[in-house]
Amino acid sequence: MATLEEKGQSASTERLKEFLREMLLIRRFEEKVEERFRAGELPGFLHVAIGQEAVAVGVCRALEEGDVIASTHRAHGHTIAKGTHPNEVMAELYGKVEGTSHGYGGSMHLYDVERGNLGANAVVGGGLPGIVGAALAFKLRGEPRVAVAFFGDGATNIGTFHESLNLAQLWMVPAVFVCENNRYAESTPAKQHLPIEDMTKRAEAYGMTSMAVDGQDVEAVYEAARKALKQARDGRGPVFVVADCVRLSGHYVGDPQVYRPKEEILELRKSRDPIELLRARLELADEDWEEMDREATRIAEDSVEFAKKGTDPRPEDALKNVYA
Amino acid sequence: MASQVTLPRLGQGMESGTIVRWLKSEGDRVEKGDALYELDTEKVTQEVEADASGVLLKILAGEGEEIEVGKAIAVIGEQGEEYSPPESADSDGEEELTATAGVEQQAEQRARVAPRPQAAEQMENGGRVKASPLARRIARERGIDLSALRGTGPEGRIVAEDVERAEKAPPAAPAPAAAPAAPTGEVETIPLTGMRKTIARRMTEAWEAPAFQIAMTADVTAAIRLRQALVARTGEGEAKPTYSDILTKVCAVALMRHRGVNALFGGDEIQLQPTANVGIAVAVPNGLLVPVLRSCEGKTIPQLAAERADLVARTREGKLRQEDLEGGTFTISNLGMYGVERFVAVLNPPQAAILAVGAIEERAVARDGELLARPIMEMTLSCDHRTVDGATASEFLRTVKQFLEEPGLAL
Amino acid sequence: MPALTYREAIRDAMSEAMRRDDDVFVMGEDIAEMGGSMGVTQGMLDEFGPDRVRNTPISEMAIVGAGIGAAVSGMRPIVEVMYQDFMTLAMEQLVQQAAKHRFMSGGQIKVPLTIRTQGGAGWSPGAQHAQQLEAWFLHVPGIKVVFASTPADARGLLWSSIYDDNPVVFFEHRTLYNLKGDVPAEIDGIELGRARVHREGEDVTIVATGRLVHEALKAAEEAEQDGISVEVVDPRTLLPLDEETIVASVRKTSRCVVAHEAVVRMGFGAEVAAIVQHQAFDYLDAPVERVGAKFAPIPFAPVMEEYVIPHAEDVLAAVRRTMGKD
Repeated sequence: MATLEEKGQSASTERLKEFLREMLLIRRFEEKVEERFRAGELPGFLHVAIGQEAVAVGVCRALEEGDVIASTHRAHGHTIAKGTHPNEVMAELYGKVEGTSHGYGGSMHLYDVERGNLGANAVVGGGLPGIVGAALAFKLRGEPRVAVAFFGDGATNIGTFHESLNLAQLWMVPAVFVCENNRYAESTPAKQHLPIEDMTKRAEAYGMTSMAVDGQDVEAVYEAARKALKQARDGRGPVFVVADCVRLSGHYVGDPQVYRPKEEILELRKSRDPIELLRARLELADEDWEEMDREATRIAEDSVEFAKKGTDPRPEDALKNVYA
Repeated sequence: MASQVTLPRLGQGMESGTIVRWLKSEGDRVEKGDALYELDTEKVTQEVEADASGVLLKILAGEGEEIEVGKAIAVIGEQGEEYSPPESADSDGEEELTATAGVEQQAEQRARVAPRPQAAEQMENGGRVKASPLARRIARERGIDLSALRGTGPEGRIVAEDVERAEKAPPAAPAPAAAPAAPTGEVETIPLTGMRKTIARRMTEAWEAPAFQIAMTADVTAAIRLRQALVARTGEGEAKPTYSDILTKVCAVALMRHRGVNALFGGDEIQLQPTANVGIAVAVPNGLLVPVLRSCEGKTIPQLAAERADLVARTREGKLRQEDLEGGTFTISNLGMYGVERFVAVLNPPQAAILAVGAIEERAVARDGELLARPIMEMTLSCDHRTVDGATASEFLRTVKQFLEEPGLAL
Repeated sequence: MPALTYREAIRDAMSEAMRRDDDVFVMGEDIAEMGGSMGVTQGMLDEFGPDRVRNTPISEMAIVGAGIGAAVSGMRPIVEVMYQDFMTLAMEQLVQQAAKHRFMSGGQIKVPLTIRTQGGAGWSPGAQHAQQLEAWFLHVPGIKVVFASTPADARGLLWSSIYDDNPVVFFEHRTLYNLKGDVPAEIDGIELGRARVHREGEDVTIVATGRLVHEALKAAEEAEQDGISVEVVDPRTLLPLDEETIVASVRKTSRCVVAHEAVVRMGFGAEVAAIVQHQAFDYLDAPVERVGAKFAPIPFAPVMEEYVIPHAEDVLAAVRRTMGKD
């Protein structure tokens, strides 16, 4: 019979394995996206979240039924973590009817309202006010739900960020603001767009509870998110979470990343890959890892198959959904 | 030194022309006098010769483009030569070529050559009728010619009320329908081009002349005999004389006797013409042309027949030259071949008169108390009252009648 | 029939909706204790409390955005933007978010948000508080635009706007708030996209919006002295637009004047003129005339302001021009 401590340990280990499985799925999905984009199959332009999987998974795993998120232009990971099947995400990237937005949205506008995804936003900071409004609605109705906004460090320089944090704190709405601080606003490094080092100060200015967490450590993100969500849900006000993380890819697929040295990327891939970090920590047997990888790869490949077999929208349907 | 080829004025009243086809290409060697392009003026299509020798360096006016007289249409110079425009003080010179222009600039310059606001304005004032869409629709539905109306709207625009008023004005017109009739089919629109535009303009001008008409009939028994005799003597390949040829001769002689009819109206003067140059109206597929037979008074009927045959043939083939259409002093229009008994021709200004000739028909005529069947031809002379009065016109027409009835008198 | 002012009519629609429906609430700058800078929400705080009559910071993009988020989450918020000039600050949220959520989600989302805003010159508010910017919004697929000119229309149209499942920008005119008019005893919606023919006539159609409806009616009276019979049509909803009523009227009269307070160039009138020339071309007996502000920001000095914005005499002059009587 296992001791209580061992039980807790194994429960935590099981959960972390689940997190790893999911992060790996996002990673393999994103790699597939890069591959298919380079093959010329995907229209438009794409942003992958390679390196930032721990934030998406850690936050979304801490959410409860009924909670909602607003995502960013780098939305695939958040969307999959929030429960949308990779098939639907990939189909959307292919512009198919089977896609999560039926071909109307694309990579930067993944919506899955049924699963609490109020939409990814291609305007930096564009989703924050809406999250305040959603949280206001929950508060006005007395519903124990929380609205979560994902955004990057670049968004903290835009007006919506400040107006939204001010309003959220003023009204004490159940919102959590998750800043994925990858230190780049597109190509611009933090030292060129942020006058402060400690991002938590931005929220402190509004009197908001503010916490920093290692965004490459999924367990730390999960715990921070749970704490933040609880405070918000309990009516004790919104929380600002800064997750320091690493974008191991370029800003967009195909970005030559002339703005940062190759060595930096190689070094970060070795030392800061959240998946490798977690794998090492879990001391997974090779066969377990390979089985996990095969499964993630298969799902990613299946999603491409699914998407390619999908239905092209009728051109004239472009005029639908303009008005309710 | 390169020289510009400009669009020549090829006849009185010619304002512009349309290049139908270039007969030489850029880079071709051209000798002065070579046919360079085909030009469609209001009246005819004709070949225009190069007025300089050299290489056709640049064509500035495209085929189908309507060009104002005097505008540059091409440049002829020596191989490899760069051409430069004459220095021009006024902005009007913009259509001239720019010195050692690059290809792009040349293209731009070329674009500038074509439609110019000035031309557009002329169109506005000249051909185009200013009317509101509603006025146009009512006019279209009720078959009213807007060009005949005077607009009372802003800037002289014809508005619906003007059309309604015009329709009510002629008492003889069929009663207007209470409601506009439902259109029964598509209206086919034929834009006025070249010749038809000229006809429209000239006939409208003609309508401004105070015209009067007089009519006489002639017993053409003798004329028929004369024609038969002339035909019998016509050799192989020669043009057979027609009644029109006889008429031409007869009228020409009569015109020389009544020079007041062989006259042109010159605004503040009447110009009596020294020779009888008789125009003959010839129907062509999209209109009507009036080539001119010169100095008919001194020519024999077979000579006139030969010239007439050549003119008519060239008219139908579109090969008339500008001068074939110029210099007329009198016109004959014969619709006898269509069975028309009599008709009134519209004047051909500035000529003083035009003779409309109907068919020769056997009619019962009284001679010395007896009814006889005789070949009779009706003639109606339309006259410009500014040039000719009734008495002069009557004397002329009586002479024509006498000549027809006794051709010998015309000798 | 009770008579209400334009201001009361708007308040009446909001209050009644809030009484009937917990999902309706109003937020904006200075709308609680102060009752709104134009006094439209006066008294509502007392009846509904600060949660539902919600004072906001001066944060146009956040309050419009919060309205969007609440609407997406099932509420029917009414956001008051104090001056339409300040809509400039909220354009991203309105144009990029509210107008497109439904579309980008492939029909998953609806955004039943009403943005009430006001403006208009005639009282020297100066260049940043006097514009008529409705044309900007008419260019955006996904939002509806309403501009009421009478108390009855304001109440009925606002009611329909609140209950419309799309974002609606509801324009009020500053100088009309005290205008009194009969309203139906019971509140009822007026269908968005239906014009009102204020006055029938035979010779000229005036399509007018907002304050210019009243100027057009004055001009029509004067024209009648001249024997010109004028029809005055107020589209009321500018998007969607009741093209049918406008075109039918112009086909009847053969002449059209469009009148609004916004600058003429690229204004609502340009669209109406285009529609009329296209759908009633063969019926037009005169060019479509446009009446609006001269192409300048609205100046402060009363004499200059008066000069820039259009009045009844400008409308009358346009009517006379279409009749060839200038």
